Amino acid sequence: MSLKIEALHKHFAGVAALDNIELQVGASEFVCLLGPSGCGKTTLLRIIAGLLAADSGRIVLGEQDLATRPARERGFGIVFQSYSLFPHMTVAQNVGYGLTIRRTPAAEAQQRITQLLQTVKLAGFEQRYPAQLSGGQQQRVAIARALAVNPALLLLDEPLSALDARVRADLRLELREVQRQLGIPTLMVTHDQEEAMSMADRIVCMNQGRIEQVGSPQDLYLRPRTRFVANFMGHSNLMSREQVQAHWPQLLAHAPTGFDPASLALCVRPERLRLKADSGAAGRVGQIIFLGSIQRIAVHWMGQQLLAETSSATPFAPGDAVQVDVAPQDCAWVAA
Amino acid sequence: MNASRLPMMARDRWLLRACIGLPLAALVLFFGLPMLSIAWRSLQQDSGGIGLGNYLALLDAPGVWHAAFNSTWLGLVTTALTVLLGFVLAYGLERTQMAGKRFVAVGMALPMLAPSLVLGLGLIFLLGRNGLVGKLLGVRMDVYGFWGLLLADILYALPQAVLIIRAALRHGDVRQYDAAEVLGATPWRQFVDITLPNARYGLLSAAFVVFTITITDFGNAVVIGGNFPVLATEIYNQVSGQMRFGMGAVVGILLLAPAAVSIWIEHVATRRQARMSGESAQPPHPQHHLARDLGFAVACGAIALGIYAVVLTVVAGSFVRLWPYKFEFTLKHFNITLSDGYAPLWNSVYVSLMAALFGTLMLFMLAFAVRKFPGRLAQLASLLSALPVGVPGLVLGLAYVFTFNSASMPWGALYGTAALLALCNYYHYHTQGYVAMMTGMRNVPTNLEDATSVLGGGTARILRDVYWPAIQTTLLSVGVFLFMRSMVTLSAIIFLITPAVSLSAVSVMRLDEAGFTSQAAAFSTCIMALVGTLTLVLHVLTAGTRTARH
Repeated sequence: MSLKIEALHKHFAGVAALDNIELQVGASEFVCLLGPSGCGKTTLLRIIAGLLAADSGRIVLGEQDLATRPARERGFGIVFQSYSLFPHMTVAQNVGYGLTIRRTPAAEAQQRITQLLQTVKLAGFEQRYPAQLSGGQQQRVAIARALAVNPALLLLDEPLSALDARVRADLRLELREVQRQLGIPTLMVTHDQEEAMSMADRIVCMNQGRIEQVGSPQDLYLRPRTRFVANFMGHSNLMSREQVQAHWPQLLAHAPTGFDPASLALCVRPERLRLKADSGAAGRVGQIIFLGSIQRIAVHWMGQQLLAETSSATPFAPGDAVQVDVAPQDCAWVAA
Repeated sequence: MNASRLPMMARDRWLLRACIGLPLAALVLFFGLPMLSIAWRSLQQDSGGIGLGNYLALLDAPGVWHAAFNSTWLGLVTTALTVLLGFVLAYGLERTQMAGKRFVAVGMALPMLAPSLVLGLGLIFLLGRNGLVGKLLGVRMDVYGFWGLLLADILYALPQAVLIIRAALRHGDVRQYDAAEVLGATPWRQFVDITLPNARYGLLSAAFVVFTITITDFGNAVVIGGNFPVLATEIYNQVSGQMRFGMGAVVGILLLAPAAVSIWIEHVATRRQARMSGESAQPPHPQHHLARDLGFAVACGAIALGIYAVVLTVVAGSFVRLWPYKFEFTLKHFNITLSDGYAPLWNSVYVSLMAALFGTLMLFMLAFAVRKFPGRLAQLASLLSALPVGVPGLVLGLAYVFTFNSASMPWGALYGTAALLALCNYYHYHTQGYVAMMTGMRNVPTNLEDATSVLGGGTARILRDVYWPAIQTTLLSVGVFLFMRSMVTLSAIIFLITPAVSLSAVSVMRLDEAGFTSQAAAFSTCIMALVGTLTLVLHVLTAGTRTARH
């Protein structure tokens, strides 16, 4: 079943938390709501879950309008950042909680619990209590509990944010794998662009209650449509139209039409910027940050500071003169 | 949040409505209405008509002015000494490694187990005309009046001051001290520059609380006040003795002023304190320091010893034939000569149980509803809930008389019943219960609550699986708090008891007034034994649940 959101609005004390949200989640799609804190992504998730009421707009699941359906009747699954397990229940009781509510026969529930604990790699942990588990294990239990009821939609509210970097990376892959196996439409809230890019089929980038851009991770990274998206999805070099005209006039041919030229800017990702040592060139290497396989280089060029990334094998030193160049297919024009 | 728009099952919605509606209605009826009544009564002139006549008559009432002056003076001296001693005790308990912390802490709990007048009683046994000290020294002492009242009030107020100041001292951050140490500040400088400024709101708040309970305490004023008239006894005389209800109402209204200031100070203090201490503050852990620890052990030990001496003297006095002359063991004082014997003690238990059960239920429902739907009604409930702490028991009791001692109103039927006493005792301590309940609510994990909803759980399931495990300890301690306070309070119910339904603290007062001091002591011993046992049981129970959960 797919989820469709139409013209959703929500205000908190006169401030727009969600402004005209339009969104669809396909039948087995993994969609990430990405944005800085306060952008409205969690508010949107809570409204979809039925934990919060919207001011106006429609949420439709399959053919059914959810307006009058209470959270407990929507049949969704939800996983929060932390502290969402019953501390006084065992792992098995936690996972089976939704099944108990649905009065699933004991044998069937037992089977489902065993199977799910295998899926989240916690077989044998049935009789443990949450306090006896690590943070990563607790989140696996929370995921299993959400999946146990065969949810029509899986909602994830920063489920990995409270975990250590290593555990987080492992669980990203596992979570995505499980979701693919079960084919459950999933909506995940995160403020971590790397997480969104590594997990999502589609990313919904939000800012100040509005959707800035929706697209595949590649779309958002390589073809951001707004300055906000360009800056939020990793590092970027932004140059005004005048600067481009002055230094790389050949790129102007690709500039989109129909926009106010003053609002246009050229976005070049650091790894797409080409540096070439050239003693007569105008660019000067500034600080170099070593990051293992690559190095991040600050370049002073034509009165502005650019950021470039090259292989660490390329020998550059602060003070080197470099020529700076970019290919037309390696940059994107952003508006607004 | 607009709760009404959230889709909900009909029975969930009704349950929530009941949770906010019932406690709010009860709060309005049993707190709001009485307070309006007393305000209204203060404007009803004895000559008939409405006006400021009663207030103007006050100008012409030298007795009231004299009592007000005495109360203020007594309040100021008590406050200054109590806050000083309270700070020493709190600092010793929180910031030193002194020996005997448990001894001191238990001593601080003792006065809470008994009606306030028990302290006056103990002082009379020790320092009175027929006191132990006078007999040993061979002098005739007179503790009645200002000095006796001062001592009794200090002992009564000290535990509450210590509680507040300890909380303030617990808010410190060890990194401030580490930074000062590294910068070369001496311990004294650290104390002056860090400890004192951080504790100043706690001290201020303690000062106002102490001042308020001193000028409104009734029990000690009756027992040991002698010929030193204070406002609490004056208001009692005006109303019970001379039937001057208008004047009583006026004094009652005036007694709200210092309490209102103290609440405001506390409100500001908690806000500032919250702002000062970041979430990551690490409370200081005192190191061993021989001279300091020894000094505090001696000072705190001595103060605590004073409290033990006064309270235990009452217990001892109830078991000897003729204090302080014939120290033979006897149980004869437990044969109470009042016509109703021990009935008031069991009345107290009955009334306190009612107050505890009803109060805990109302407070839980209210806190639950306020948490679930922070709308306008919830704001109103929070606001109203903050007020009762500012109303001295004496004033609340008086307000109940004006409201419920009326045959013409339907609620007049409650007058003279145990239920009304229970309600009065509960609403007297409603604020403290509400604050404790809201604090307990913070332990209820919001995420778990939401997850349960999404998994299909209704309100009943959420209450059972999410709230109950997280808040059972709070419910128990709120219930026991209401029970204990209700067992020992005197000032609120002194106007409300009738010959048919009397309470234990009143019996102690009556016995003392009638000259049966040893019987008063015996009766007090029974109250303390009951309340003390219950406290111990609670302690064991909550310690049990705490370990069971980990």
